[in-house]
Amino acid sequence: MTMRHDTQTEGGEVRPGETLLEIKHLTMDYQTKEGRVSAVKDVSLTLQRGSSLGLVGESGCGKTSVALTLLRLQASNADIVEGEILLGGLNLLDLSEEEMRKHRWADISMVFQGAMNAWNPVYRIGDQIREALDLHWPEKLTTAQVRQRIAELFELVGLPEEAMDRYPHEFSGGMRQRATIAMALSCNPQLIIADEPTTALDVIVQDQILKELKKIQTELGMSIIYISHDIAVIAQVTEHTGVMYAGKIVEYGSTEQIFHRPRHPYAWLLLSSTPSITGPRRKLAPLEGEPPNLMVPPSGCRFHPRCPFATEQCSNEEPPETDIGDGHMVACWNYEQVPVGISEIAAEEG
Amino acid sequence: MLKLFIFISKRSVQMLLLFVIFLTVLFFLLEAQPGDLSQQYIGNPDIPPEEKARLAARLGLDMPLFSRYLAYMKNFFTGNLGNSLSQYPTPVTKLIFDALPRTIVLFLSATLLAYYLGFVTGKVLAWRRGKMSEYLLTLGGVGLYTVFYPWFALLMIWTFGFTLSNVTGIRVFPINKFIDVSDWLGSPFTTNQVFLRMILVAVLSMLVAAVATVIAKQRLEIRQAIRVRNIAFLLGVVFPFIYFFFSAMGKYALDILHHTLLPVMTLALVAFAGIMLLTRSAMLETLREDYILTARAKGLPEKVIRDRHAARNALLPVVTSLVLALAFVIGGGIITETVFSWPGVGLLLYNAVILEDIPLAMGGLSVIAALALIGHLVADILYAYLDPRIRY
Repeated sequence: MTMRHDTQTEGGEVRPGETLLEIKHLTMDYQTKEGRVSAVKDVSLTLQRGSSLGLVGESGCGKTSVALTLLRLQASNADIVEGEILLGGLNLLDLSEEEMRKHRWADISMVFQGAMNAWNPVYRIGDQIREALDLHWPEKLTTAQVRQRIAELFELVGLPEEAMDRYPHEFSGGMRQRATIAMALSCNPQLIIADEPTTALDVIVQDQILKELKKIQTELGMSIIYISHDIAVIAQVTEHTGVMYAGKIVEYGSTEQIFHRPRHPYAWLLLSSTPSITGPRRKLAPLEGEPPNLMVPPSGCRFHPRCPFATEQCSNEEPPETDIGDGHMVACWNYEQVPVGISEIAAEEG
Repeated sequence: MLKLFIFISKRSVQMLLLFVIFLTVLFFLLEAQPGDLSQQYIGNPDIPPEEKARLAARLGLDMPLFSRYLAYMKNFFTGNLGNSLSQYPTPVTKLIFDALPRTIVLFLSATLLAYYLGFVTGKVLAWRRGKMSEYLLTLGGVGLYTVFYPWFALLMIWTFGFTLSNVTGIRVFPINKFIDVSDWLGSPFTTNQVFLRMILVAVLSMLVAAVATVIAKQRLEIRQAIRVRNIAFLLGVVFPFIYFFFSAMGKYALDILHHTLLPVMTLALVAFAGIMLLTRSAMLETLREDYILTARAKGLPEKVIRDRHAARNALLPVVTSLVLALAFVIGGGIITETVFSWPGVGLLLYNAVILEDIPLAMGGLSVIAALALIGHLVADILYAYLDPRIRY
């Protein structure tokens, strides 16, 4: 008998297209000594079962805050002003801490940043995975069954079986990240959040790990939310992409739509500032200015101080989310002015 | 396992070398200081010069310095530490080995108690960051940690030995000393016979409890293993009492135990405060680590995160501090034993220095040094065992 319990068999059938996760109007502030920081503002997202979503944006744009809130692990000074997080129809924000604990890792697990010390240095890798299995696996597992399960997981992520008896410091960065993925998969979660899963790794290992993650995701029918500042990572693995700026989702659509024809000025500038191997050789257009201070967010559209298309209206009124067809949403007054292709500043100089 | 053995052997050899260097420095330092009992003895102006020379030759004082050093080292490592001059002709080894168990028991029990309680309180304290209880305990801890120790020891004697007895009319704690001499008149046992039997019984029953715990951990489920451990250690504590209740030594053992309580409590209290503060700050440091977030994300209960993930890592700096605490044994040992009139190595050393009894002082100092080095070795081994990143 194989130990692999797929999500398919647990939740009945896999129903592709069915909504797994729904974030509704999530707004969160951080309470600091200097004042309230509006870190997440009115974020709404939907994720289908078995699909993948990317959240991309600069450091501090609120993407990790959203991710941690999904597990209810937001910092202790975070204050959720409003919103709902519905996982299969259940609002996670209503649960008691004790009930929430049961959903962590069993339903939503997380692949932490490769640069992080996600592993406790004094315990063996296998024992740390076992902790999750002992807690969340539907039946009680014997030591032999646990080892078999971990061996399966390791095979899936390309680690040798005997690696489970080693300590974290004996692993290379890539191996550690593979083990992190194995641990995230251990209890067959419905949703995995991958927060900068490949950031500290070199590009070759990065590519391998992304490919494997994608393969595993399609094989096991899980949903994944990728979070990254690196749009190349998002472009490579996700079906849908949300572009975040200063705590808000400014553009959302299929990854294809966004990378082919970005409509929000920020997304457009972000793409223009990234080199491409296949496209024509050009100078990169840096994104001018700095992310705003979220203690006093800019009035109107939060991007207007840095936006080349900003008008009077942008500094006064918040732009609504506009559907420009096929589920491609953009929150901008002047999205029609955003040209096709890369930023002309770059084009001129190139 | 073999690697650990090689590490221990290597470290032991290093410690031995260090000990030889210590003895050398000690020998020449004491040689450099003016006057000792033999000088007073020989320097008597009533003794004629040829008799002086004969006496000096008998004591080996006519030999050149280096020969005397070699002779001293040879004697030391063959177990001959000479005779005490102040308690002539008792050999130094006998005096020291009579006093040694009393010192070891005093410091070992105080240290173990302080580390255990300090660690447990410290980790709970870190978990309650920002609460009133944390604030008060930390404040009290800083007070105890910085207190002038001799004054504190006297205060403890005054409060618990003197005032408490006066107020209640019962002698709750004796003021000082190791035994009540009046109770021991006509006793068929010497104090050391009783004391060594006490140590033997206590160590054996604890050892049995520890072995039972280890076996239970391997054979049983975690919950049952914890229950076995608790019962085993409870019996380990109770058994010595039962043993001495039925033993003819019982009455005398109780007297010794009675005298041990206050000095152990005093020493432990001061050390406890330091360990508690250290554990607290180490825990707060650990709680910021990323693997604590991982543990939370896994849905582990708070208690498991605290004990298994945070505290286990916070233990490492606490073990390191054990090494530093050993330095206290020399200074603190003399102070504690003097204040409590506790007939241990510290008091022996103190009297030897006052009376310029050089052989006894050297013996006392070298035994304390050996204890500190052994403590070092134990801490090293513990550290290698606790932190998998350190493998030798």
